[in-house]
Amino acid sequence: MSDAASASVRDLSGATNMIECEGVSKWYGDFQALNSVSATIKEQEVVVVLGPSGSGKSTWIRCINKLEHHQEGRIVVDGVELTNDLRNIEKIRSEVGMVFQQFNLFPHLTVLDNITLAPIWVRKKPRGEAESAARALLDRVGIPEQADKYPGQLSGGQQQRVAIARALAMEPRVMLFDEPTSALDPEMIKEVLDVMKGLARSGMTMIVVTHEMGFAREVADRIIFMEDGMIVEVGTPEHFFTNPTEDRTKLFLSQIL
Amino acid sequence: MAQVGALILVLGALGFLVSQAGDNLRARSIPTGFDFIEQPPGIQVGEGIQTRDFETGGRALWVGMVNTLRIASAGIVAATVLGVIVGLARLSHNWIVQKVSSVFVETLRNIPLLVQIIFIFTVFTTLGNVSLDSGPIHGWLHISNKGLSVPRVFGLNGSFQWLAFMAIGALVARWAHHHQVRKQEETGQLGYPIVAAGGVLSVFGIVGWFAHPVMGFLGPVFGLIADALDGLPEETLQLILAVLSIVVAILWIRRFLKSMSSGGGRAKLTDDDWFRMIFAFAGSVLVAFAVLVVWPGLSSWLLNSGRDFFQLLDDRFGSGNGGRPFDGKRPDIVKPGNFANYGPAGLTLTPFFAAVFFGVVLYTAAFIGEIVRGGILAVPKGQTEAASAIGLKRSQALRHIILPQAFRIVLPPLGNQYLNLTKNTSLAIAVGYADVVQVGQTIYNQTGRTLPVMAIWMLFYLACSLTISVVVNFFNVRLKLVER
Amino acid sequence: MTDQQTTDVAEPEEETSNLPPKVPRLPPGEWMKKNLFSSVGNSILTVVFVLVILAITRGLLGFAFSPERRWDATATNMRLLFAGAYPQNQFVRMWVSLGIVVALGGLSTGVWRAGGRMYLTSLLLKGYGVGGAVVLVGILAPFSGSARLSYFLVGGLLIAASFAVQSATDEDTTVGTLAVGLVGVSIAVGSFWVIPYGHHAFIDGAQVVSDGTVAATTKGPLTVMVILAVLTYFLGREIADRVDAGWPRKVLSLSWLASPVVIVFFVLRDPDFDYGHIATTEVPIFLAYAVGGGLLLFALASPRIGEVGRIIAAVTLIAAAATFLTPMLQVIRILALMLAVFALAAPTFSGNRAARLRYVTVWAGVVLGLLWLITAINSPATVESNSSFFTGGLALTLIVASFTMILSFPLGVILALARTSNMPLFRVMSTTYIEFVRGVPFITILIFFSVLFPLFLPENMEVTEIAAVTIGFTLFSAAYMAENVRGGLQSIRRGQYEAAEALGMTTAQKTVFIILPQALRVSIPPLVGQTIGTYKETSLLAIIGLFDLLFVARSLIPNQTSFIGSVREQLLFASVIYWMGAYAMSRASQNLERKLGVGER
Repeated sequence: MSDAASASVRDLSGATNMIECEGVSKWYGDFQALNSVSATIKEQEVVVVLGPSGSGKSTWIRCINKLEHHQEGRIVVDGVELTNDLRNIEKIRSEVGMVFQQFNLFPHLTVLDNITLAPIWVRKKPRGEAESAARALLDRVGIPEQADKYPGQLSGGQQQRVAIARALAMEPRVMLFDEPTSALDPEMIKEVLDVMKGLARSGMTMIVVTHEMGFAREVADRIIFMEDGMIVEVGTPEHFFTNPTEDRTKLFLSQIL
Repeated sequence: MAQVGALILVLGALGFLVSQAGDNLRARSIPTGFDFIEQPPGIQVGEGIQTRDFETGGRALWVGMVNTLRIASAGIVAATVLGVIVGLARLSHNWIVQKVSSVFVETLRNIPLLVQIIFIFTVFTTLGNVSLDSGPIHGWLHISNKGLSVPRVFGLNGSFQWLAFMAIGALVARWAHHHQVRKQEETGQLGYPIVAAGGVLSVFGIVGWFAHPVMGFLGPVFGLIADALDGLPEETLQLILAVLSIVVAILWIRRFLKSMSSGGGRAKLTDDDWFRMIFAFAGSVLVAFAVLVVWPGLSSWLLNSGRDFFQLLDDRFGSGNGGRPFDGKRPDIVKPGNFANYGPAGLTLTPFFAAVFFGVVLYTAAFIGEIVRGGILAVPKGQTEAASAIGLKRSQALRHIILPQAFRIVLPPLGNQYLNLTKNTSLAIAVGYADVVQVGQTIYNQTGRTLPVMAIWMLFYLACSLTISVVVNFFNVRLKLVER
Repeated sequence: MTDQQTTDVAEPEEETSNLPPKVPRLPPGEWMKKNLFSSVGNSILTVVFVLVILAITRGLLGFAFSPERRWDATATNMRLLFAGAYPQNQFVRMWVSLGIVVALGGLSTGVWRAGGRMYLTSLLLKGYGVGGAVVLVGILAPFSGSARLSYFLVGGLLIAASFAVQSATDEDTTVGTLAVGLVGVSIAVGSFWVIPYGHHAFIDGAQVVSDGTVAATTKGPLTVMVILAVLTYFLGREIADRVDAGWPRKVLSLSWLASPVVIVFFVLRDPDFDYGHIATTEVPIFLAYAVGGGLLLFALASPRIGEVGRIIAAVTLIAAAATFLTPMLQVIRILALMLAVFALAAPTFSGNRAARLRYVTVWAGVVLGLLWLITAINSPATVESNSSFFTGGLALTLIVASFTMILSFPLGVILALARTSNMPLFRVMSTTYIEFVRGVPFITILIFFSVLFPLFLPENMEVTEIAAVTIGFTLFSAAYMAENVRGGLQSIRRGQYEAAEALGMTTAQKTVFIILPQALRVSIPPLVGQTIGTYKETSLLAIIGLFDLLFVARSLIPNQTSFIGSVREQLLFASVIYWMGAYAMSRASQNLERKLGVGER
C-alpha cells in the first residue's frame, strides 16, 4: 500500500478532452440525484469516483452512457453531444464500454458468443475475425480456456473479466466501471483489479466508481469525491489521501480507512 | 416402518372400496366388461371422420378422440398466436392498445370458461337460418345457426407429388439459408438468408405446380416397400421388438450409471436411483413379454398397418398425373330436407365446434398473454442495459437477448396452459360437440358400461397430458441455462 | 392449527405506508402525443383501435338495450339466481347468512387494519373516465331522446363533480380506499330507495310487476348489511386498539373457517334436533371421548413417555381400524380415527403441564365440533324445499366452492409433504395421485363421482349427490393444492431445515413449527389463484344437472313460460356475477402479494 502513493502522475495537459460534463442535473420524481455536476476527463486519463452510497456516482456514469437521461446540463463525449437522437446514442454507446456491478452477462450464450455478439451485429464484423479478436481478449483478461463455457459455469471474478472483455470487444475509447468489484468475494477482487490496472497502463480512458482505495491510490490520475449528487472535491490521489481540503471528504476518509 | 404402514393402509382402503364396488355392481347387475368396444354401438355422432353406421364401439370412441385431438391441436396453435399478440400488446407503449389488451385479459380470465362456451354457442343458435345471403362477405363467408362456413382449399391426388417436390425444395432452401448465413458471418456483408430460402421454396412451389407428375416414380418405390413388409414373417418383428425393448433399457441404465459416476468414482446411489433402474428394466421385460406372449397381435397389426400405409402412398403417387394438385371451393348451400344446410364444398365450423374452439382459444389466450408479459418482464433489467451498453439496437436486443431468455421462462407455464386447453376441450359435452367425453357418454347411456367408458376417458386424457408434458420437458431440458 | 400457523398472516400496516407510486402527470396534449401518437405506426394503431372499440361498444349496447331483451326475466328471478329454490317464507335465513359474512368481513377489516389510501387525483381521473363512458353510452346506445338526455346529464354531472373537487383540493390530497368503497356501495344501495327500478318478482308462483322502487324485502336487508359492515368495522378497530391483536385475529381466522359449516348446517338448514336422542347417545359419546381420550392424550403428550407412547398410539390406530369390522355408529369410528391421529401426533406437541392441557383442550374442542356437525348433518332439516338440495343458484356455487377449498387444504398439505418427503414410497404414492388427477379433466372426475360414487359406499350408507360431487371436487382440488404448497416448500432454504435440526427438533416438529408456516405464507398468492379457479370451476356443476348459478341462468329461467328463450340475457348476467367475484379476488390477491413482498424479484 505504501508504495502505491508514489504512482506515476502522468502529465496529461496536452491531451484532448474525452468527456465534458457541464451542470448535469437529474431528478427521480422529487429526489435530486445529480446536482449540477461539471467535470472534464481527458484522453488516457484514469478517474476514480469515490463517495458514500447514494451519492450519485453510479447515476452520473450511467448518464454518460445514456442509460439514464439527464434533465439539465450537457454531456459531450468525444466531441459529440448527448441528445435524444437515436443515431447519436448508438454512436456514443459503441465508443463507450461499460462494466456493471452485477456483470450482466447473457446467461443463454457462451462466453465467446457474449463477446462476439456486438462486434458481429453492430460492427458487422465477419464471425471468424470477431472470434479471433474475442479469444485474444480472453487471453488478455487471463481466461482463454473458458471460451466455450456458459456464464453460469464461471466464478464471479471470471464473469466480471468476461464482462470486461465483452466491453473491450467493441474497441471503445472510454471504459466506464460501475462498482466492478462490489459483488465479488474478496479473493476474486484482485484478479479483476489486475485486469483493470493493465487496461489503465495501456492508455485507456477510464472512469471507475469503486470502493477500492488501494486501486484508487495506485492507478488514478485524479480522484473525484461526490456526495448528495454534487462533486465535493477533485484532486490527485496524493492530495486526496494525505491532505483533503473539504471536511466532508475528511469525514468520509476517516470512516473508510 | 411408517411407509409400509401407510402403504398397507392405502392398499387396504383401496381394496375395501374396490370390493365394495364389485359387490354393489354385482348386486345391481351393472355390466362392466369392455365388450362394447367390439360390438356395433348403434349410435350417431354429430361430426367427425365418420358419423354413423359404426362397425364397433371402439370406432365411435376413436372418432370422438380424433375430434378432441383436432380441436385441441387447432386450439393450441390459435391460442398461442393470439396469446403472444395479447402479451406483447400488454407491454405496448400505445396507451389504448395496452388498455384494450388488459381489458381483454381481465374480462376473459375472470369468467368461467363454461359460461363463455355456452354463451358463444347460444349466440350461434340464435342466428338466422342458412340462406344465400347469410354472411357479411357475400359468397365467401357465411354465418348462420348452422355455423361458420368459409372457402376450403383441398388437395387432389397430385398434391402428394407436389408435396414431394416441396420436400426437396425445403432441403434446397435450407441449404440456401445456411449458405447465406455463413456468407454473412464470414465476410461481414449483409446476407439475405430468409429471402433466399423463401425464394427457393417459391420457385420449387411454382415449378412443382406444373411439373409434379415427375414424382410419379415414387409410387412403385413405395409399392416395393409394402411388398417387403408383406413378406416379413410376424415372428421376426416380434423378436426384433422384444430385443429392441430390452436393449434400449440396458442402454439407458448404462448411460444413467455413467452419468452418476465422475472421475473420482461413482456417486452413492439413492433408493430413488435404484428404483428407477429396476423400474426401467422391469418395464422393458414387461414390454418384451407383452409383444411375445400376451399380445402377439400387436406385431401383425404393426406389419399390416405399415403395409397398408405404403400401399396407400403407392396409390396416391401413382394416380393424378396432370391437373392441378390443389383446388379451392366457395361454401355451397344444399337443401337435403326441409331446411337448408351447408354443403361439403366449404370449410364449415359447426356451432358446436365453433363454440368450444373460440371458447378455449380466447380463454387460454388471456392466460398465455399474461404468461408472455410476465416472461418478458422477468428478464432482469441489467440484461437490457448490458445489451444497450454494448451498442445493440432495441430490436437486436429484443431478438438476441430478451426473447431467448423470456422464452425459457415462459415455456413451463406455457406447457401447463396447453395441458389445460386440452383438458378444457372436454367441456364440449355442455354444447354437444362430439368429443371423446360426449361420444363416451352416449355409449354408456346406450350400453350401461359406465365404468369402462370412464376408464377409457381417463387413459386417453392421461396419454394426451403425458405427451404434452414430455414434449415441453424435452425443450425445457434442452434450453435450460447452464449453471454450475 | 397451532399458534405459529395462524398468527401474522398479514402484518399491521400503517395506513399511509402503502400509497401507490405517484405518476407524474403530463398536460393532456403532451400525454396524448407520448402515449397515442408517438410515431406514424402508433397513430394508425390508435385510430384503428378507437374505431374497433366504438364498433364493438355500439354492438354490445345495441344488444343490451334492445327492446327485445328480456331483462325483466333477470329481475323477476333474482331470488332464483342467488338462492335457488330456497323457501320464500324462510328467506330471512339467507340474509342472516350474508349478515354473518358481512360482519366477519367488517370485523376482520377493522382488526387487520386493511385498506390503504389513494391519491384523490387518481380517483378523480376515474371519475372523468366513468363520466365520459356514460356520455359515450348515451351517444351510442339505441335510446329515445329523453333517455339519451338523462345519460348525458348523469355523465356531465360526474365530470363536473370531479372537476369541482379537483379545483377545490390540493394535488397531494389522499382518501381512504375503504371510505371510497363505502361511499360507492352506499350510493348503489341508496339508489334502491330513490330510483324507480321497478318491482319484479314471483310471489307464491304468481308473477308480480309494478313500478316504483324495488321491494322492501330487498332494499331493507341490503341497507342493514351496509350499516352492519360499518358498525362491525369500527367495532373491529376498537377491539384491535383495546387488546393485543393476537387473539382477536386467531378467533376471527377460526370463525372464517367455521362460518361455511355454521351457515350451511345451522342457519340455512336449521336441523330439527331430537334432544332425547342427543341426551342418550351423543352426550355419552362426547363425555367418553373427551374425558377418556383426553386422559390418554395427556399421558401421551408427556415428554418422558418415550417408546411406550408410540406403541400405545399404534395400538390406538389398530383399534380404530378394527372398529370398521363390527357394526356400530359411524360417529364412534370417525372419532376413534381422530383420536388415533391425535395420539400419533402427541410427541410433536409434548411439553410442560400447560402445553399438555392445551393439547387436551384442543382435542375436546375437536370432539365437540365434530359431534355437533355430524349430528346436525344427520338431523332432518326444518327448511322444506322442492329440489334435492335446499338451495341453489349463487348460494350453491359459493357453498360448494368454500367447502372444497376448506376440505382440500389439509389434504393438499399432506400430499405436498408426502411428495417432498425423503421416503420413496410416500413420494411415489403421492406423485402418482397428483399426476393422475392433474392429467384428467375435471368433468370426468365430476361425472365419475356423480354417477359412480354410490357404488363405492358400504351398504345402507347414503350420500347425496351434492356431497358426492363435493368430495370429488375436493379430491381433485387437493392435487392442485398440493402442487401450490410444494412450490412454497421448495422455496424454503436449506438453512431453515438445518437450523431446526440444530435445535434438536424432530422431523414432525420441524415441519409443523418451522417449515409449514413459512411455506404456506409463500403459497398464499397461488392459493388465492386456486380459490378463483375453484370458484369458476363450480360452474361445471351445471353439466351434471345441479342447480348452480349457471344452471339457473341457462336452463331454468329461459324455460319459464313467461320468459322463453331469454338465455343470452341470463348468461350475461351470470357472467357479470362470476366476473365480479373472480375479479375482486384477483385484485385482493395482487394487493396481498405486494404486502407480503413475495412474487417480486
